[in-house]
Amino acid sequence: MTPPEAAILMPPPPRAIGSLPLAVKKYLAIFRASLLERMTYRADFLLGTILRFLPMVTTILLWRAIYAGSGQQSLAGFRYREMIAYLLLTNISRMFSSMPGLAGGVAREVREGTIKRYMIQPMDMIGYLLVYRIAHKITYIIMSFIPYALLFGVCHSFFDGFPDLATLGEYALALAIAFVVGFFFEASVGMVGFWFLEVTSLLYIVMTLNFFVSGHMLPLDLLPEPWSGLLKLLPFQYMAYFPAVVFLGKAKGAELAWGLAGGVLWSAFFIVLSRVLYRRGLRRYSAFGG
Amino acid sequence: MNPLARSARYLRILRALAAHTLSRELAFRGNFLVKVSVEVLWLAIMLAFYKVVFARSSNVAGWNEPQYLFFVGCFFALNGLIEMLFLDNCNEFSELVRTGDLDALLLKPIDEQFLITCRRIDWGCAPNVFMGSGVMAMALYQMSWRFDPVKSAAFLATFACGVAIAYAFMVLLTSLSVWMVRNQSLMEMWWLFSSLARYPKEIFSGRWAEPLGMFFTYFIPILIVVNVPANVMVRAFDPAMVLMMLVATAALLWISRRFFLFALESYRSASS
Repeated sequence: MTPPEAAILMPPPPRAIGSLPLAVKKYLAIFRASLLERMTYRADFLLGTILRFLPMVTTILLWRAIYAGSGQQSLAGFRYREMIAYLLLTNISRMFSSMPGLAGGVAREVREGTIKRYMIQPMDMIGYLLVYRIAHKITYIIMSFIPYALLFGVCHSFFDGFPDLATLGEYALALAIAFVVGFFFEASVGMVGFWFLEVTSLLYIVMTLNFFVSGHMLPLDLLPEPWSGLLKLLPFQYMAYFPAVVFLGKAKGAELAWGLAGGVLWSAFFIVLSRVLYRRGLRRYSAFGG
Repeated sequence: MNPLARSARYLRILRALAAHTLSRELAFRGNFLVKVSVEVLWLAIMLAFYKVVFARSSNVAGWNEPQYLFFVGCFFALNGLIEMLFLDNCNEFSELVRTGDLDALLLKPIDEQFLITCRRIDWGCAPNVFMGSGVMAMALYQMSWRFDPVKSAAFLATFACGVAIAYAFMVLLTSLSVWMVRNQSLMEMWWLFSSLARYPKEIFSGRWAEPLGMFFTYFIPILIVVNVPANVMVRAFDPAMVLMMLVATAALLWISRRFFLFALESYRSASS
C-alpha cells in the first residue's frame, strides 16, 4: 500500500476512476455548486454590472470630441460609429476572456498547500477550474444580459444592424477562442506560482499591460507600425480586439481565416503550456504538514 | 483642548502613522518596487493613448496637446494622492464592519473618521504624485509657460480642494458599508467617479450630455475635481469657478462628516 505521505507527493492519478457518466456527474456537481455560489450576492453583482457601463458614457463623449478635433470622418479605417461599436464590443470580448482570480487562485493553492487535494482526489485541477469557470461565466452572461441588452439597445444607432449568419458564426468562434486563450493563458500565469510563491505582483503587471495590448482601450489599427502589426501577432488581441473586428465585418476572407487559425494555434499553445507547467510544477512541489 | 493644540496632536499622530507604514512597506521592498512599476506602466499606457489621439487630432474638446498633457498629469497626481492617503483605508472599512473589528478602533481616544480614513499610507502610490507632477512640468515646458504667482497659488488651492472633494465622496461611499456590508460594488462606484474626473468636462456637450455635465458639475461636483485646477493653470482663470469649488469643498466635507457619524450610530457590532 502506498503510504499517505508518498501519495501526496505523487502526481495526480490518471482519470481512471469512474465510468463516463460518473465523470460527467462529478463535473456537473461542481458546475451546480459554482452556479449557486455565484448567485449568493446577486444584488451586489447586478449593481456592479450596471455601474461598469457608466464609464462607457465618458468614453463615447471622449471619442466624439476626438473625431470632432481631428476634422476627419475616419481614423485608421474606423468611422466614429464604428469606433464606439468597437469599444462596446470589446466589453463582450472581455466578458468571455477575463478570468478574475484564476491565476491568483492557482498560486494560492500552491502556496497554502491546498493543491494536494487534486493529487489525492480523482480530479484534474485544470479540468475542475475550467468547469468552475464555465459555470461562473454562464451566470455572469445570464445576469449581465439585461444591462447589456439595455446598453446595446440605447446604443443601437452605432451599429449597422445585426451582421449576417455567417459573420455571427465566425463571431461565436472568435468568442470561444477568447475564452480558451483567456483561461489557459491565465492558468499558465498561475502555474508560475510553483516557482515563485507570490504571483500577484506579476499578475498586476500582466493585467495592466493586457488592457492596452489586447485592444480593449483602442483598436490596434490606430497604433503606428510596427506596433500595430506586432500586437496582432500576439495572443492578447484574441481577448478583446479580434472578436470585435470579426463582428464589425472588418476581418474578412484570408485575413479572417489567418486570424482564426492564429487563435486556434495560440489556444493549443496555452493548453499545452499550462499542462506542461502543471506537470513540471508538481514534480518540484513539496507539501509539508497536515 | 484648543483647536491649535488639537491640530498639532493630530499632525503628530499622522507623522507617526506615516513612519510606521513606511517601515512596514520597506520590509517588503520587492513588493513595493512591483507596485511602483505597475503605476509607471499605467502612466505609460495613459501617455501612449494620449500620443495616439494627438497623432490624429489637433485638439480634444478645445484642449490642445500640451494643455491636455497637463490635464493627464494633474489627474494622475491627484488620483495618486487620493489612493496613497485614503483608498486602502476606506476599502478596508467594510471588512472592519463585517468582522466587528471596528469595535477596537471606536474605543480609541481619537476621532473615528481620522483613524478609519487616515490609518495607513500606501507609499506605493507616492511616486504617482511625483510622476504626475513631472508630466505637468513637461506640459508647462512644452507650452513655454511663464511663472504666474496668482495662477500658481490658485492652482495649489484648487488642487487641494480637488483632493478634499474626492475624499468627501469616498467617505460618503465608505459610510454606506455600515448598511451594505459587502461594498465591493461601492468601491467600483469610486472607479466610476474617477473615470468621470479623468476627462475635460467640455466633452459633455450636446443634447443629452450637457445636462449630464451640469449635474456632475453643480449637483454631484465630481467633474470639477481635476478640471478646475487644470483650467486655472493652463487655460482660462475663472474666479467664479474657483469660488464655487471652495464652497463645494466646505459643503461636501461637512455633509460627508455628518453622514459618516450618522452611519456609525447605526453600526451594530458583529463580535462577542
